[in-house]
Amino acid sequence: MKQGRGSCRAATPPAVLGLVGLRAGGGVPGSASPAEAILSLGGLLVLLIGAWARGHRPALTASWLTLAAGAAALWSAPVPPASSPFFGLILCDPFSLAFRWLALGTLAIVLLLASASRELAAAVRGECYGLLLLLGVGLMLMAEANHLLMAYLAMELVSLSSYVLVGFLRERRSAEAALKYLLFGALSSGIMLFGMSLLFGLTGSLAFPDLQAAVAGTGGPMARALLVAAALMLAGLAFKISMVPFHMWTPDVYEGAPAAVTALLSVGPKAAGLALLLRLLEALAPLWASLSPLLLALTVVTMTLGNLVALVQTNVKRLLAYSTIGQVGYLLIGLAVHTRVGHEALLVYLVAYLFMNLGAFACVVAVMNGTGSEALEAFRGLARRAPGLSLAFAVFLLSLAGIPPLLGFVGKFLLLGSALDAGEVALAVAAAVNSAIALYYYTNIIRLMYFAPPAQAEPLSPSPSPALRLALGSCAAATLALGLWPGPLLELISRLAVVRLL
Amino acid sequence: MLLTWLLACPLIGMLVVLALPKTAVRAIRAAALLATGFALLLSLELLIAYQPAAAGMQFVERAPWIPPLRIFYHLGVDGISLPLVILTALLGFLACIASYSIAERHKEYFALYLLLEVGMLGTFLALDLFLFYIFWELVLVPMYFLIGIWGGGRREYSAFKFFVYTLAGSLAMLLAILALYFRAHTFDLLELAAAGRTFELGFQQLLFLGFFLGFAVKVPIFPFHTWLPDAHVDAPTPGSVLLAGVLLKMGGYGFFRIAYPICPAAAMGFGGAMACLGVINIVYGAFVAMAQTDFKRLVAYSSVSHMGFVLLGLASLTPEGLQGAMFQMVSHGVVTGAMFLLVGVLYDRTHTRELSAFGGLGARVPVYAGFLIFFSLASLGLPGLSGFIGEFLSLVGAFGVWRWQTVVSLLGIVAAAAYMLQVIQQVLLGPLNERWRELPDMTLREGLSLAPLLLVTLGLGVLPLALLEVQDGALQRLIAHVVGAR
Repeated sequence: MKQGRGSCRAATPPAVLGLVGLRAGGGVPGSASPAEAILSLGGLLVLLIGAWARGHRPALTASWLTLAAGAAALWSAPVPPASSPFFGLILCDPFSLAFRWLALGTLAIVLLLASASRELAAAVRGECYGLLLLLGVGLMLMAEANHLLMAYLAMELVSLSSYVLVGFLRERRSAEAALKYLLFGALSSGIMLFGMSLLFGLTGSLAFPDLQAAVAGTGGPMARALLVAAALMLAGLAFKISMVPFHMWTPDVYEGAPAAVTALLSVGPKAAGLALLLRLLEALAPLWASLSPLLLALTVVTMTLGNLVALVQTNVKRLLAYSTIGQVGYLLIGLAVHTRVGHEALLVYLVAYLFMNLGAFACVVAVMNGTGSEALEAFRGLARRAPGLSLAFAVFLLSLAGIPPLLGFVGKFLLLGSALDAGEVALAVAAAVNSAIALYYYTNIIRLMYFAPPAQAEPLSPSPSPALRLALGSCAAATLALGLWPGPLLELISRLAVVRLL
Repeated sequence: MLLTWLLACPLIGMLVVLALPKTAVRAIRAAALLATGFALLLSLELLIAYQPAAAGMQFVERAPWIPPLRIFYHLGVDGISLPLVILTALLGFLACIASYSIAERHKEYFALYLLLEVGMLGTFLALDLFLFYIFWELVLVPMYFLIGIWGGGRREYSAFKFFVYTLAGSLAMLLAILALYFRAHTFDLLELAAAGRTFELGFQQLLFLGFFLGFAVKVPIFPFHTWLPDAHVDAPTPGSVLLAGVLLKMGGYGFFRIAYPICPAAAMGFGGAMACLGVINIVYGAFVAMAQTDFKRLVAYSSVSHMGFVLLGLASLTPEGLQGAMFQMVSHGVVTGAMFLLVGVLYDRTHTRELSAFGGLGARVPVYAGFLIFFSLASLGLPGLSGFIGEFLSLVGAFGVWRWQTVVSLLGIVAAAAYMLQVIQQVLLGPLNERWRELPDMTLREGLSLAPLLLVTLGLGVLPLALLEVQDGALQRLIAHVVGAR
């Protein structure tokens, strides 16, 4: 099952077009990725509808139509064998296809949450949907980027949309979170740009395939400079995926943002960021020997810090923020071991994480709609007030904790396996210890819901709206069904987990 | 399909319970009772159809489950698992009768209870390591809720402690399972047992350590036992019965089915350590039990002591020792299950478990007194009852191999007599405490849940061969497999 470390080079020599290495003849711009084009146009249209139409219904309908059209386009587009359209800026291979579907799935569930959330004022929801769609485009492009220019633009698209979305609530906390996010984001993207410029100066190219060739041919003192460039770029991406030590913004932003947006931030950019990181590391594969100890150490630190700090949280959104940091730590295992098995495990866990984390946030939205509170105390005795909701939340939390037979367990099983397969026993042990620590704060919520008596006896009102029920139901069904029957998912992913650079 | 039906009985029961309205308490109880009853009948059918003389697994079912990882839905029983399957079905049914005393949230209770039974049965039936692990963990969640919602005392703390301890152990086991898979590329327990003999000693020792941590928490082996008194004491009576009767056996079974066959050389090497741990369990558990003033806590610590004999017998790797260890597991399940039921009967009436609060109950509640004396004597190892056979065979087997450990463990037997007779004395004898002047005797329902256990205890004590013959073939093959690997 193991594939050789490093990646295979494409046979076709790239025709260089200009300094930055744009490639000609890769197809008509946009023709091979109509899904992104549809989503961009749809997003802009929804923004306009949201600004002019009364209520959020028209904008919501337009968003769903856009999403459906995007999904149809993605479904019908012939992807494998890999093609590299848009002047070689993006790469449509099975791997990016998987992430594009992940982005679409995230968007769909987050759209359900945003339309059901009572936090967002109806007057501005239309614009929120439009920004969500644009953010989705950014996520897809991040996963597809085959060129540092595209990678940077996609990341900025995601960042700018999320700065606005985080500040969508008309309250101090939300504005503070948005500002904090913006400042941290600007700093990290500056650092990343610096790294890119260094890399360009050293190698003379920004396209990933050329980078790999150039990096392989660099030696001596230049190799050390390359390492600095790589570390700087890593910092920018680490910010996006909340990797320690660039995680500080996460709890504050998650707490201040509307719950639906937090849900999106906790899944979408993490998945896309990991995809981009993976591709970037492939491009820098010759440096792997120097980068791997750093990455391994950061993986362990990320999961440990996230899980330890989550233990003492009293606000459910902050708790889930630290839980996200912990989960990112697990996800990084798949990256840090740098094997085919690891990449597969990463994808499986991402699918699991999408369903269980978005499901958990759907529960938070439902409880916030009913109680107006996001304190952990709001969950006290919930099992008697809303049994279905509590059951679903318990399933998501147990899945996040990695208890079989839920999907989260399958993913964690494969991740731990990939670590052992690669001979990283310490990493696997660290992840196992972390799982035991994480059990405390996940079961703490279950304890509050099921063991503690409720403060009020009457049922939660309003009970979850149909949209929220749909989100909860589909996430819970996927978490349980795919956990019991993961075979087809694993087969699909083993076909998609081929990372290549053209 | 017999084994699948056995698993399906409680599962279907759970779905029926979930479909019933919350207020239909009688229907919910009846559904649960029927489901566990059918499971018991099917397990007895297994016993009748089982062929002790035939080698290998019987009633085998195998179907692909997760093909990319070569994971199979693979079930089967042999002489090692069959007695435990029947024990599980029996205690599952009797504890379900005892569950009639549950006063609130019936629907949730019985749904979780039946899910627990699925997990317990599946653990003993699975022949695929992945499937085994799923069932093993499946037991955890319902038991966590049973203790946390319907328990008493510091139930939340105890439920959490139980969950964390067991999960931490399970994660060590999970790492061992994964290491095994990436080495042998299979989860099939039979193939793994064959492959395990070829692994080098260092790898076997690491594997054994991982499995040991998982099983040691469950058994529980000193010093991983501290969750046990809390969980056993704070669980509701049916939960305590299943914890002591079945969940502890899952740990012992794990050694027989997984750790010893797959890591034979390591198991041989760690024999002395296992025997020492067994002795510590026996002596430490017995002396701590002697110091208890709480009836339920005393029974809980007696479990630690009794499970020590399982370890001692297992470590000997002689036919007598292994027979004794297996016999002790069954006997302990029956006797201690009954003891917890008896504690529950008393607690339901008096709402206290302090031994000093009772006294002179023997004349007031004669039926109860009869049951209590019977099971106390069985627990302290009176010849003629099942407890004696298990302990005796374990000691006989161990004496030739681990001589001084065996001698020291005799202390535990003496202490067992002391604390059990103390229980009889403090509860039943002496002047009647005036508080219990109106204490009613056992009801028919309580009697019905205890009578079968009494018959089994007596039957196994008088006719031990019935059980020994079932186990014999599988244990002989296990010894040949482990010792032959040298």
